[in-house]
Amino acid sequence: MSSTNTSSDLSSEMEVDAFRRLFPLRFHERHLLESIRPDARPLGKARDTSLALGAVASAHGSALAKIGCTTMLAAIKMEVMTPTTESPDEGCIVIDFHMPPICSPIVRPGRPAEAAPVVSKQLSDTILSSGMIDLKELSLVSGKAAWMAYLDIYCLDADGALFDAALLSAVAAFSHLEIPVVSLNEDGRVVVVSEEDAGKLEKEAVNKEKRKLKLSTVSFSLTCILHKNYILADPTAEEESIMETLMTVVLDSSFQLVSLYKPGGPVLACTSAIQDCVALTRQRVKELQKILNEAISDMEVD
Amino acid sequence: MEFVSPEGLRLDGRRPMEMRQIRAEIGAVSRADGSAVFEMGNTKVIAAVYGPREVQNRSQQINDQALVRCEYSMANFSTGDRMRKPKGDRRSTEISLVIRQTMEACILTHLMPRSQIDIFVQVLQADGGTRSACINAATLALADAGIPMCDLVTSCSAGYLNSTALLDLNYVEDSAGGPDVTVGILPKSEKVTLLQMDAKLPMDTFENVMQLAIEGCKAVATYIREVLLENTKQLEYRRGV
Repeated sequence: MSSTNTSSDLSSEMEVDAFRRLFPLRFHERHLLESIRPDARPLGKARDTSLALGAVASAHGSALAKIGCTTMLAAIKMEVMTPTTESPDEGCIVIDFHMPPICSPIVRPGRPAEAAPVVSKQLSDTILSSGMIDLKELSLVSGKAAWMAYLDIYCLDADGALFDAALLSAVAAFSHLEIPVVSLNEDGRVVVVSEEDAGKLEKEAVNKEKRKLKLSTVSFSLTCILHKNYILADPTAEEESIMETLMTVVLDSSFQLVSLYKPGGPVLACTSAIQDCVALTRQRVKELQKILNEAISDMEVD
Repeated sequence: MEFVSPEGLRLDGRRPMEMRQIRAEIGAVSRADGSAVFEMGNTKVIAAVYGPREVQNRSQQINDQALVRCEYSMANFSTGDRMRKPKGDRRSTEISLVIRQTMEACILTHLMPRSQIDIFVQVLQADGGTRSACINAATLALADAGIPMCDLVTSCSAGYLNSTALLDLNYVEDSAGGPDVTVGILPKSEKVTLLQMDAKLPMDTFENVMQLAIEGCKAVATYIREVLLENTKQLEYRRGV
């Protein structure tokens, strides 16, 4: 009792920044009592989100997504490969998530971030299982040639909600992707036709023009933090480090549940908390759909 | 192959002594103590500085100076073909060493003993001159982090093709097999900290090419000073000065 008395005396004299560093949980809880967070957001609101398509000129599809300060750069490069014998009509997608040391003070060279392979696997599972892309569309010549799409996502600034930003940038990159023109060369192999040769095509082109990938459904996600009775949407890195229970809900464009991810944590979630999270995600999906459609139409105007 | 047309234009329409368009932005990475994005034509580089902070490996701690570490890595999609091993290969290790030693020359390390300064550079798009872009970005990031330096370090490259000295080579000109001179200077005193060259070149031609590169470095320094001044003005407005 006396120790809390002394610390509350100390806290009344201290500056705000010092209090934030020394007693982070109490600092945040004082804000939660008023249903607000330190950056003045209400509990269920996500940070400002922006999308820019075509950020990397040398890639076949790319996008830069920013949620608050969290920045993700996704780029897709396509290569021709031979499909496996079990699925001769299907191409392949390889998803890789990198956290280079620039993104956060906890990542050091020689000791990669713990979060990187976790988010990488989560992304891979979500994108491949959601059925967003039909792998048969990536086939060129059945049994002989198919597309291998390498999706590389780089985190340039890690300020919480990494999975959300990564999924948004991946989905935007796939929307921007244009499959390049290919033709058969003399050995019977399929080669990518470069821009200059496209005009003077002597060999027969397997696909005559660049086409866009058809996405059957587009998935968006929202990460929430559960703390006592509060649900905080779209946490920053500071909030994630203090209140550790995260829950990620992924919905597709018809509001069907694609993935639910709650990897343990000290707070137990009852059914009503999960339903609240899904409701928050539904709101967020509408916002993100609007942002993605605006970004795509901006590209088309150019 | 002709790299300089008879009218005196290069492959991308520049004159021989013309640099590519430069663009710089400070404070791109919010989590870093200092960060900058630097673009030279199509080459885009992000640098982030963390420090001075506690040395992570106690055995490497220096008692009277700060320890400077640098890591250079390229994104998988930065070059034309997708790279398999973006860091840890020989070229990345060599460039990391070059950048570290170049920046160490100008950081006043004796003011921050027993601490560590980390400089991380990430190449997002590579179109020739990545080394120079990285050094320029690192200078801006160090200035943004408020780390005491005796002067800026700016860098530029120059080459010699079709009997003409060319400033700021892009990837196509660089891979033509001609000489490639990279120079890094401290612009106030015009002292050279970094000088690298490969392929053969007669001595008097080399002096011309090096002088051209130094002029390029000075132009970059003028631009960097403008960017830093503008940034300081913004900080003043925000503080209400």
